Amino acid sequence: MDRRSFVIGTTASAAALATGSAFAQETYPTRTITIINAFPPGGVNDLVTRPVAASLEQIFKHPVVVDTKAGAGGQIGAQVASAAKPDGYSLLSHNNGISGYAEVDKLFGRAPKTTRADFIPLARLVADPVVVLVNDQQPYKTLKEFVDDAKKKPDTIVYSSGGLYGATHIPVVLFEKAVGGLKLRHLPTNGGGPAITSVLGNNAQLTVQTVSASLSHVKSGKLRALAILADQRSKALPDVPTMKELGYDLEYYLWVGLFAPKGTPANIVSTLVDAIGKAANTDQFKTAITNIGLDVGYQNAADFAKFWEIDAKRSDEAVLAIGKQG
Amino acid sequence: MESTLVSLLHGFSVAFEPINLWYAFIGCLIGTLVGVLPGIGPLSGISILLPITFGLNATQAVIMLAGIYYGSQYGGSTTSILMRIPGEASSVMTCVDGYAMAQRGRAGSALCIAAVGSFIAGTFGIVMLTVVAPPLATLALKFGPPEYTALLTLGLIFLAYMSSSSLIRTLLMACTGLMLGMIGIDNMTGHFRYSFDLVELGDGIGIVPVAVGLFGLGEILSTPSKNVTGKVMAPKLRELLPTTQEWREAAMPIARGSVLGFIIGIIPGSAHIISSFLSYALEKKLSKHPEQFGHGAVAGVAGPESANNSASTGAFVPMLALGIPTGPITAVLIGALMVHGVSAGPQLVTEHPDVFWGFVASMYVGNLMLLLLNLPLVGMFVSVLRIPYAYLYPLIIMFCIIGVYEVSHSIVDVWIMLIMGVFGYGLRKFGFDPAPLVLGLVIAPLFEQSLRQSLIMSNGDYLIFFSRPIALGLMLVCIALLAMSALSFFLKRNDWRTKLAVAEAGET
Amino acid sequence: MTLRTDHVAGAAFVGFGLLIIALSGDLPAGRLSMPGSGFLPMLVAGLTIVLGIALFLRARESEPFASIDWQDLTHAGPVILVTAGAIAAYTVLGFIITMVLLMLVVLIGVERRRIVHAAIYGIGVVILTYVIFAIFLKSPLPLSPFGF
Repeated sequence: MDRRSFVIGTTASAAALATGSAFAQETYPTRTITIINAFPPGGVNDLVTRPVAASLEQIFKHPVVVDTKAGAGGQIGAQVASAAKPDGYSLLSHNNGISGYAEVDKLFGRAPKTTRADFIPLARLVADPVVVLVNDQQPYKTLKEFVDDAKKKPDTIVYSSGGLYGATHIPVVLFEKAVGGLKLRHLPTNGGGPAITSVLGNNAQLTVQTVSASLSHVKSGKLRALAILADQRSKALPDVPTMKELGYDLEYYLWVGLFAPKGTPANIVSTLVDAIGKAANTDQFKTAITNIGLDVGYQNAADFAKFWEIDAKRSDEAVLAIGKQG
Repeated sequence: MESTLVSLLHGFSVAFEPINLWYAFIGCLIGTLVGVLPGIGPLSGISILLPITFGLNATQAVIMLAGIYYGSQYGGSTTSILMRIPGEASSVMTCVDGYAMAQRGRAGSALCIAAVGSFIAGTFGIVMLTVVAPPLATLALKFGPPEYTALLTLGLIFLAYMSSSSLIRTLLMACTGLMLGMIGIDNMTGHFRYSFDLVELGDGIGIVPVAVGLFGLGEILSTPSKNVTGKVMAPKLRELLPTTQEWREAAMPIARGSVLGFIIGIIPGSAHIISSFLSYALEKKLSKHPEQFGHGAVAGVAGPESANNSASTGAFVPMLALGIPTGPITAVLIGALMVHGVSAGPQLVTEHPDVFWGFVASMYVGNLMLLLLNLPLVGMFVSVLRIPYAYLYPLIIMFCIIGVYEVSHSIVDVWIMLIMGVFGYGLRKFGFDPAPLVLGLVIAPLFEQSLRQSLIMSNGDYLIFFSRPIALGLMLVCIALLAMSALSFFLKRNDWRTKLAVAEAGET
Repeated sequence: MTLRTDHVAGAAFVGFGLLIIALSGDLPAGRLSMPGSGFLPMLVAGLTIVLGIALFLRARESEPFASIDWQDLTHAGPVILVTAGAIAAYTVLGFIITMVLLMLVVLIGVERRRIVHAAIYGIGVVILTYVIFAIFLKSPLPLSPFGF
């Protein structure tokens, strides 16, 4: 134990003594809170979860630690969190991925390990819209040029994604459906980085990635952004039209949210929701998020629950459209 | 060129600021510690220390984290040589001949050669990084799935040179490794393969649990303490340094390993893992005494260790020049830069010259620091071997467990390690060599993915492997190698394998 | 005919290959031009069976099975058991308790060293390792429910 948590620990126990043990339930939290992060260090989830943990620590006056349980596209973390004791001391930081596992499992006739019902949404922290990108060797200057050409040669243009049924695969499938009669060939890779690399090297021609992941390549001219799947244009890419402007009703964001396991007592959930709301509003958190090239996309529990439902429905649709592959 | 020199000088002025020197030193020190402690590899080391760097500025953060990264590559050979525990995939080959050298009382020599080889390779890598980074990075992008497939095919052919056991045995081990490597979610179709409903197996079987089990634990299981009592492996002080003869044997492998490692290192993706395996196979193929490999050949330590270090430096080329991660470690480094509002990418040099050139210059300094840090430590490390074996091996078991557990905090991994230890014990009884198994395990997921990606790109046409220049070149090398071995097989020339068989038959 | 080591090893590999094929179940093999998730596993399993048979047929060159020296099992057996126990206890009892027990069991139970020596050495290296990980690497090893 380092000195700081020692000091915090003693003040906390002093406070507990002063209020008396009869009110113990109201004094949540009384010890370290763990946020299980289902994605590897250095990724967006990690970079968003750490500052929120730091802000929460100041609000709760108790240590809030991030415990990385990465693997299997976030499924390991989700499973660990769903199996954790629902006492408010184990939370989960996850992203879009959490929506799709059950549907994919159903597709393969497997018993789902976790479903959306296993988690209580607490807050959405960021939402990074995705952009349709082609490399500089492609002739397309607008989305229309691309769609017209791609329709002429179905199953020829290759797009890369960070993984099958993943958050950079689903928007392309939604786009194909929205256009109608569009068929692109899918090249799955193992992550957002490799997916961008394969387009940069012209091993694939198109990819859909977040603004923050693609911004430097768009600025350098290696990638061209044709459209953004957001409700309004991005400040970082003001010249890129939204899908709505181009006539397609499409929005897709890569979001990061916090969850509590099912069964967490309601009073603890509301304490957490309030505290996360405060944490997301601190300058410290805002600066950290701006630095990694994102905007704070905070939504409280109620709004997030609504958003999640719509988002998950989209994801389910896309998973069904993709179907079971060879 | 001139402007590069000016920028580099500016970089040195940044790197030599006392505070930056200090962070470089801390990074190298922690890196050495992380490397020496078995199992806790560079990735976990960097991930653990990432939050600490949030309080520093971007230059200091990247200097320190990179120091941990290449520092751990230096230290990684130590446990491989002394205890036969590979801390990560890239030190598996060092386990073979490094440990064999240690058993002949040449542990100090092996450690010195590994350190000097790492220094030369690291410095070579940085010079290349300074001079040719941008054009090379663009070239590296041309390395898509078909080129990967061709490179890994070459790796599979090199398997034959991996082991001194017979070809059938080597191939059986490789097949076993390939099959183990196919466990987990199939990235291309989403099927779970042979994972028995264990989510922990979703990402497949890790290389560290398998390698630590087969080599580290397997060695302990087949070495009862009564067989080692009285046998002193620790050398005297003046025997710590390599002999002139050993330096001579190490020189060319270090040079070749540096070049080979750097070329493989700049390829985006996970190819750098195979750099040490390829270097080992190459050295064995070129050696005049291939029969010494596996029994403490100096080249078998010098080549792979240099290749490994050079590859880890090469991995910075696409990261710095293009902002694309070549693996999980560079991904974490890019994340660390992003936290400070610095985005790695083509504009890094122009937008943040202090960060870029300060970082490059600090690597020159860091490599020198590491050499000065590691050489005096050789004597200390070797004295570990003075601990009586009965006391040493429970310690090794403990490190095997910590090391494997710390990689991803998964107890399933530790059970895999134990199973592999028992398996490794069994393999010895039947005269099988585990090294090809590990290479198979490393290659399997990469090979399968790149093969299937290539076929998606070409819509099922195998000509894609012969219609792209780099892939074609690599495929021609493969064909030439196969033709050569076929020829020598038909000519029934007495190659080293048969010589070895004759020699072994003579012994029994 | 004497049973030789390669008879046993070859048969084991054939069995392993067959096992993999049996476990592959519903994995689609796909086509040569578009291999499915079962394609390469089947291919490698098939190759393993072929090589296993080749090893079996050439077994005459190998040592008789009876010549394998199993004496070191008296060492390997207990070590395997102790390691398995330590792994089972690791996340439950935490690093310090588990590893001190591992040291003591091996040094006193298996190696018959003096109790005092074993205890000093065992507790010493375990605490030292714990301190290095907790302080210098800031990655505390698993703790026991008792808080250490």
